Amino acid sequence: MEINPLIVVAVLLLVAYTFFYTPGGQIRNLLILFVLFIIGFTLVVAVSEMPLFGSIDAPAYNHVARRYITGTVPETGSINAVAAIIMDFRAFDTLGEATVLFTAIASVLASLGAQRRKQ
Amino acid sequence: MDDLVTHSVCRFMVPFVQLYGVYLIFYGHLSPGGGFAGGAVVAASIILYALSFGRETASRRIASGVSQLMESGGGLWFILVGLFGILLGANFLANKAAGFYLGTPGQFFSSGIIVLLSFGIGIKVASTMITLYYNLSAEVDEHGNDI
Repeated sequence: MEINPLIVVAVLLLVAYTFFYTPGGQIRNLLILFVLFIIGFTLVVAVSEMPLFGSIDAPAYNHVARRYITGTVPETGSINAVAAIIMDFRAFDTLGEATVLFTAIASVLASLGAQRRKQ
Repeated sequence: MDDLVTHSVCRFMVPFVQLYGVYLIFYGHLSPGGGFAGGAVVAASIILYALSFGRETASRRIASGVSQLMESGGGLWFILVGLFGILLGANFLANKAAGFYLGTPGQFFSSGIIVLLSFGIGIKVASTMITLYYNLSAEVDEHGNDI
């Protein structure tokens, strides 16, 4: 079943309008409606420009995806394509993710651990 | 939490959860899983243990300092494996080009650095979650002493 993106955007805008609605402020409400209409129009145009789900002409399906599918077994020896991508083809990217973990733990230790060693 | 039911269930469950986490880490190249998921499962077992037996008892199994060392060690192991590729005359984090043993696809001893990197990532994710839990659950009084 395909959900019409127009309906989704309309429902979201209705929710947003009831959230921002103020009783009495007619001009303010009209302004909010106008801004929400512009946002919704932009979203609908952006969605209508996107390729269909699973389309073979999608920009994301390029030579890189084909290389991953055909090259996983001969180039890495792994039978799990996901593991081959994150640990071999894009291992440098995974090193960046490890850096994110390191940064998180460093900030937690700097903010919470310093409190303990204060005295 | 001094509860007999919680203690018994956790004492029974923790080894199985840890075994499953280690399995996820080391079979990441053969089945769904890998370092991130397996490390999270291993860390969840330690956090479960700390929740039921208290942080002090869990600290005797894995101390906070050991966890922090493991955290740095996992990242350093990742970089060392990557530098090994340069040492063998290929790119940083090279696998086949550096001559790592690829083996037969589907066997456990296969796919070169993928297992090694999964191991490092698993240690790093597990120790990160454990360190986070230890630090976020720790309470200090107004003088900065542990309660």
